Amino acid sequence: MATRQSARARLAEAADAAVAAEMGGGKSQGRIVWEQFRRHRIALFGLVILTAMYLMAAFAGFLAPYGINEYRRTPVSAFMPPTKVHWVDPETGRLTRPFVYEYTSDRDPVTRQRVFVENTEGPRYEIQFLVRRPSQPYKIFGTFQSDLRLFGVAEPARIFLWGTNSLGKDLFSRVLYGGQISLTIGVLAVWVSLTLGMIMGVIAGFYGGRVDDLIMRLVEVLDAIPGLFLLIVLATLLRDPRNPLAQAFGLQMTSGQTFLMIVIVLGFVGWGGLARTIRSLVLSLREMDYAQAAKALGASEIRVMFRHLLPGTASYVMVVLTLAIPGFILAETGLSFLGLGPSEVDSASWGLLLRDATARGISIQFVPWLLIPGIPIFLAVLCWNLVGDGLRDAFDPRKRR
Amino acid sequence: MLPFVIRRFFHLIPTFLGATLLAFLISQLVPGDFLTTKALEPNVRQETIDRLRAQFGLDQPIMVQYVRWMGNIVRGDLGMSFASNQPVVNVIRRPIQNSLYLVVFATVLLWAMAIPLGVFSAVRQYTLGDQAVSAVSYFGLAIPNFFFAQVLILSIFLFRGFTRENFGWSGLVFPVAGMTSTGWESFTPWQQFWNIVHHMIVPGFVVATAGIAGFTRVLRGQMIEYLQSDFIRTARSKGLGARAITYKHALRPAIIPFIAGIGALLPSLIGGAGLVEIVMAWPGITPRLLDAITRQDIYVVLGFLVISSLLLMIGNLISDLLLAVADPRIRFS
Repeated sequence: MATRQSARARLAEAADAAVAAEMGGGKSQGRIVWEQFRRHRIALFGLVILTAMYLMAAFAGFLAPYGINEYRRTPVSAFMPPTKVHWVDPETGRLTRPFVYEYTSDRDPVTRQRVFVENTEGPRYEIQFLVRRPSQPYKIFGTFQSDLRLFGVAEPARIFLWGTNSLGKDLFSRVLYGGQISLTIGVLAVWVSLTLGMIMGVIAGFYGGRVDDLIMRLVEVLDAIPGLFLLIVLATLLRDPRNPLAQAFGLQMTSGQTFLMIVIVLGFVGWGGLARTIRSLVLSLREMDYAQAAKALGASEIRVMFRHLLPGTASYVMVVLTLAIPGFILAETGLSFLGLGPSEVDSASWGLLLRDATARGISIQFVPWLLIPGIPIFLAVLCWNLVGDGLRDAFDPRKRR
Repeated sequence: MLPFVIRRFFHLIPTFLGATLLAFLISQLVPGDFLTTKALEPNVRQETIDRLRAQFGLDQPIMVQYVRWMGNIVRGDLGMSFASNQPVVNVIRRPIQNSLYLVVFATVLLWAMAIPLGVFSAVRQYTLGDQAVSAVSYFGLAIPNFFFAQVLILSIFLFRGFTRENFGWSGLVFPVAGMTSTGWESFTPWQQFWNIVHHMIVPGFVVATAGIAGFTRVLRGQMIEYLQSDFIRTARSKGLGARAITYKHALRPAIIPFIAGIGALLPSLIGGAGLVEIVMAWPGITPRLLDAITRQDIYVVLGFLVISSLLLMIGNLISDLLLAVADPRIRFS
């Protein structure tokens, strides 16, 4: 959403690349592209980081020491700074197994700000690896249940690598769980957008005339309302319990339904640009000999559109898709940031986690760790951009190396 | 030129009607209205509700309501705000104005920074400076602006901590919240103006960041392409100075797509400004829109949608005109 201008220019470049890519050599198109992509160091770097991030999100339950919604009321653990991990034994001065101390809370005599102090007099709690926590089971890919955690410390000590939020929930764990939502919503919404955009674009380009006019007008209409406002209004109204849709789901939407709703809303708001570009590609493709031949052989219109014309746009669409994902990720985190995404209670999203940092009565200089969830957003968007650029160059024969 | 403007203007009408209809239909997604909640209050009689409902035209079918509402808009009446009981125009005027300040400031900043950066990068292609610019622009494209705003706020506070300890100065370099300082009303007009500009620097910069990054990258590409073209070689062989070649011959055609893109830039700036407004407590459209929508003040919500889409379309029109002025190849006929 934020960078439509450059996105358009990049799309134009990608279109040239796609047309040029049709004239390949002896190797298959996929092979050429992959060979080209592999030489693109920065894009490869992006791909590696992205893979790591998606794996971490998938195995969030295992990597996170705490459950998504786990917190204790006593002793107070709200806004705890990151727990300090000690590597050096204070008595011998030698490296040792990493351990933490328990923390006690106190009020600063001057500012009345709550401060947490390490209880260095108390026992040390060594960090244990591969601990079982039967009280907090989790599921991987929604099916495999387990309670094995990569690391943890024995009660009553706790380990908060990135501090805690206003309720004392572990930020490190929540960032990992948040990735499950923030990394997937964008990708799914792109598919919704793409499906809508492809159908509309192919129909508009194939039939032309009135149908084309009507569809392009619809795109213009969607474009005429600022996207963010449309998102805000749709996301709020669809969530309203009195809404007929919400009632069909049962009064309160579950987190899964909210998730689906956000995907659909994002996809609905974003399909216009895709439809426009696919239309223009189809306009030129339908005049190609093979399309005319298919028609002459008596193929039905639907068959010509979806069997002959649409595949011609594939390489281009792949690039567009990759470059569109970061925009959708930003849109989702933005919506969650406004509190219109998944709810606090049973899920986490990076935007929602960042929202904590702007809550009323919070001075960010006292709780800077609340900004950490912004870093994975930044990384994910950056890497998708890098991969998209790499893919575009790989498809472009003028940039072959 | 005038017939062109008029024709383009008429072209906008169906789009505008479509956009308002869409907005109106969306606003009808929620059954019940402001009065449904009011009807639950024990001291409000059913007759009062019915009277108000008739007064606001809420008892009519949707299409009738739309036509009526549209008719009023054409006459410049956006309806009444249920929640504050005054004309919508009064409620939305200030926020829209405030958002526009921010967007205009961001646009100016965008052009002022992106053009020199893009030209620099293109002229010094593959040097360290060029690589630094493109690294920074990747950064600018990827950072969510609400996060960037939060990071800047934190840095400003940390800087204050630093100056307080070392120099005993505990002021903020830039204000980080709101649009005016307290006591703004009693300032002289000149002071009032500078006060707002001062408040605008951080949010304006944040709003412009992604645009600057994208703009710089594309301008660099365009410039490189033009600098290698035949007419530049001719200009060089004629003995023209490097400065004249860069700025008069290469930059002018390279910049044309951006003029065409102003219209496309506006929605992203307005949208981008929205989240920054929330973080930095800027009294613009988005905070008020969120407020209105939670209160189901439907005509205020619609008012924001209508006016912002109108502004968008006017922006597009202006960029078309600018394009025609900047590009001698375009004729209006």
